[in-house]
Amino acid sequence: MCGIVGYIGRREATPLLIQGLKRLEYRGYDSFGIATVGSEIDVFKKQGRISESEAGTVVLGGSVGIGHTRWATHGEPNDSNAHPHTDCTGRLALVHNGVIENYIELKKQLLERGHIFRSETDTEVIVHLLEENFTGDLLEAVKKTVPLLEGSYAILAVSAHDDRIVAARDCSPLVLGIGDGELFAASDMTPLLEHTERIIFLEDGDIAEISPERVEIYHDGAKVERSVELVNWGIEDAKKGGFAHYMLKEIFEQPQAFYETIRAGISDAVQEMIRDAEEITLVACGTSYHTALIFKYLAEPLCRIPVRVELGSEFKYYPPPLRGLVIAVTQSGETADTIAALKMAKAHNCPTLAITNVQGSTVTRIADTTLMMRAGPEISVAATKSYIAQLAALMEIVNVRCDGKYDDLLQHAHLAIGEVLLQEMQGAVALCREAEHVFFVGRGPFYPVSMEGALKMKEISYVHAEGYAAGELKHGPFALLTPETPVVAICPPGSTYGVMISNIKEMKARRAPIIALGKKGDTELAEIVDIFIPIPDSDPMVQVLTTSVALQLLSYHTACALARDVDKPRNLAKSVTVE
Amino acid sequence: MSPMQAVILAAGEGNRLRPLTRSRPKAMIPVANRPIIEYVIHSLLENGIRDIVVVVGYRKEYVIRYLNQLDVPIQVVVQERQLGTADALRSAESEIAGDFLLLPGDNYISPTSIARIKTERNAMLYTEHPSPSNFGVVVIKNGFVEKILEKPEDAPTFTVSTGVFSFTPDIFGYLRSNEIPDAIAGMLADGEKIRAIPAEDWQDAIYSWDLLKMNARMLRDLAPATSGTVSTTASLRGRVRIGKGTTIGENTVIQGPVVIGEDCEIGPNAVIMPQTSIASRVKIEPFTYLKDSLIMDDVTVGSHSRIVSAVFGQGCILGDHTTTYPKEAFFEVGGGVTKSEFGAVLGDGVRAAPFTTFKNCVAGNNVSIEEGRVVVGLIEDNTRVI
Repeated sequence: MCGIVGYIGRREATPLLIQGLKRLEYRGYDSFGIATVGSEIDVFKKQGRISESEAGTVVLGGSVGIGHTRWATHGEPNDSNAHPHTDCTGRLALVHNGVIENYIELKKQLLERGHIFRSETDTEVIVHLLEENFTGDLLEAVKKTVPLLEGSYAILAVSAHDDRIVAARDCSPLVLGIGDGELFAASDMTPLLEHTERIIFLEDGDIAEISPERVEIYHDGAKVERSVELVNWGIEDAKKGGFAHYMLKEIFEQPQAFYETIRAGISDAVQEMIRDAEEITLVACGTSYHTALIFKYLAEPLCRIPVRVELGSEFKYYPPPLRGLVIAVTQSGETADTIAALKMAKAHNCPTLAITNVQGSTVTRIADTTLMMRAGPEISVAATKSYIAQLAALMEIVNVRCDGKYDDLLQHAHLAIGEVLLQEMQGAVALCREAEHVFFVGRGPFYPVSMEGALKMKEISYVHAEGYAAGELKHGPFALLTPETPVVAICPPGSTYGVMISNIKEMKARRAPIIALGKKGDTELAEIVDIFIPIPDSDPMVQVLTTSVALQLLSYHTACALARDVDKPRNLAKSVTVE
Repeated sequence: MSPMQAVILAAGEGNRLRPLTRSRPKAMIPVANRPIIEYVIHSLLENGIRDIVVVVGYRKEYVIRYLNQLDVPIQVVVQERQLGTADALRSAESEIAGDFLLLPGDNYISPTSIARIKTERNAMLYTEHPSPSNFGVVVIKNGFVEKILEKPEDAPTFTVSTGVFSFTPDIFGYLRSNEIPDAIAGMLADGEKIRAIPAEDWQDAIYSWDLLKMNARMLRDLAPATSGTVSTTASLRGRVRIGKGTTIGENTVIQGPVVIGEDCEIGPNAVIMPQTSIASRVKIEPFTYLKDSLIMDDVTVGSHSRIVSAVFGQGCILGDHTTTYPKEAFFEVGGGVTKSEFGAVLGDGVRAAPFTTFKNCVAGNNVSIEEGRVVVGLIEDNTRVI
């Protein structure tokens, strides 16, 4: 889950590479580096984030270069483990995203043959292998090297005295952007959008030879054509503008993300697949896992279809019996665990559907069909608008199964989301910022909403938070309730309202401060709790959206009050492309 | 001389336009389907002024989101608390390098007006207004400002300030209170000269129903264009602009000037008469008649309705046989009583059951109305009319 970029053309490469890496920082920000090609290879690399360091002062000459921003997997984040890595002669440089699983064995052999390693990374074995295979033609060297590698990689390599970049990918993302007399390569489209809208998505096993005027792509030794696609994401979508954080900007883009996903609709092929399903299994990780659980709570009673939700990371090693429709839910379309699970489902002849935000991403290539969410690029590490857009896509599936019963509801749901965005949070933030632990409780679909609320709270504010089904609190976590542990209770009207009120009273009796989300004008609830956050009165499906957004705002403002780095929380990266 | 800068003030709520300002400041209220501030930015660009600073405050997230979507880069500064216009200008001080224009973001100002003032050093644009007491009244002598009286009870003249000024950076030395007129008074007391220049065209909406007049004025400059799907049996006359994704159903009659946004569903058999703006994702059901109205995003108007002189906020859902009935009446807004004639002004998310009649009514956000009521006068937010 690192980010890589490459540039070849007529302009100075360094500022373009640095700019590109800044756009990719969400993929990792432990360290960064660039290499440019002149008569020699010049390398600059450093521990830390680009935006915090003296990146602006990096001056490496040349109009061909590669760059890397790292999320450490093998070897701690420091200057020598930062990419690019060079071979023993200093003629070759390489950046890599992915994990080389057989690197220990390869490294042993290379050491025996006299190579000198300067880092603890798995990546460095690739560049030494390239060195051994290099007889003056970089493309040939890469072609000979990649069959030796096991694991996942997207690599960009350059050699001295050579106006070329050679790229290769397998199980890690890599896209090329075609400019006017110049070419760009990157882990995803975000750095390319400001330069071009013409994108080539490389496929697993592709090796590309990139020169300023053209790209030649090889697959299994033969030259192949890959189509050039036009992408509809504008660069302004990936800019922060005047917002304090990307996360806040993205929170405010949610009404639009929702209605655009709804309006885009579902293709006939996908509709048919959904109608024919007798059973649905969803595979997802992180926030997407929570949206999948919400889908289960909505679809099982409304569409009377059994739904199973599996964590991508568990699925691969403990696969359940596979039958029926398998849906992979992943914002980036690159989540390694989810993709591995999807491949297994395909191997079992299950029909597969991907729900993703990124056109042309790996998951869209593997699944039989794709349902695109229309969230636009999401930069903040904490998922907000992609969560809402995922729910839009999943609710649309429920709607298809119910023959369009919720058309009207879904078409107006974004207005309720817009209304929640106006909500003040000061009182609740004051409680949470002082707390060491915060509990989130709810019932039915609001149980996964609580889990998501807790995930947001821990990931951006670093306050320990857990989400529980309200009824489960008594079976253990109750022991942790004190006057210093706020409980956030989601208590909308409906069949669970009465029992939620009793749960809240029980917690109140243990003197835990209660922050409750309830229907606007619910004075009974407002009177028994410490802080009442009103939610517009609407259908439970819409309340899932509005309560989720209210909890995002709570986490965001708590993180701001604690002066956390909201967009780039410590130790995290946006899309997890390693297992 | 370095290129001229401009500071647009868009931080204030504009509370006399409630309920329409719940989710947006006045500068972001759409008129002829564009937020008011967009006309101001457009007029600046027409004059080659591209270095634009916008001061945001109230509901700033919505303003910033909108500004980010524009083609020109706009500098945003935040006024944390909305204390006044001078305080707002003070928050932009660090971005100002030389002479600059100061403009309110919530009034229309024509490009020609800006051309008249942009080369002056210290100057203001004024205009004539029939009810000057709502504004800063300007007393002018020999082409220069003699004094400004802020919202006086008895106005000595009909000349009022448009709030558009040209200043040198010296103005920052006079921002002692929170209001610009105090700073002007300070400059005049020091013997500074401020030239008074008549504006060519300037429009303000003080009360929500004034938006209808502004809407009609903005529609005058509408550039006709048709995308979307228009039925072959629909009849479009005059200046009509239809956005992409919109469907105009069979036998619908549209008499321009009319602007319709994206992804709307109009008709079949609807009638849209002049001076009407319809934003995006709006649904006008069959046999409905609209005239002189401003309809914001996501509104649904049921079939067999007659909507005249109405402003509908975002997401209103009105049942069939809704009527808005223009009638003259007195309104108490912001401490003063004012006379006006219009059908209805509805805040965001108003829901009305079938057969509702609005008669000179201002209904707050999320008001819900049961079947067959006649609703008159001011109704507060979240009220249920039963």
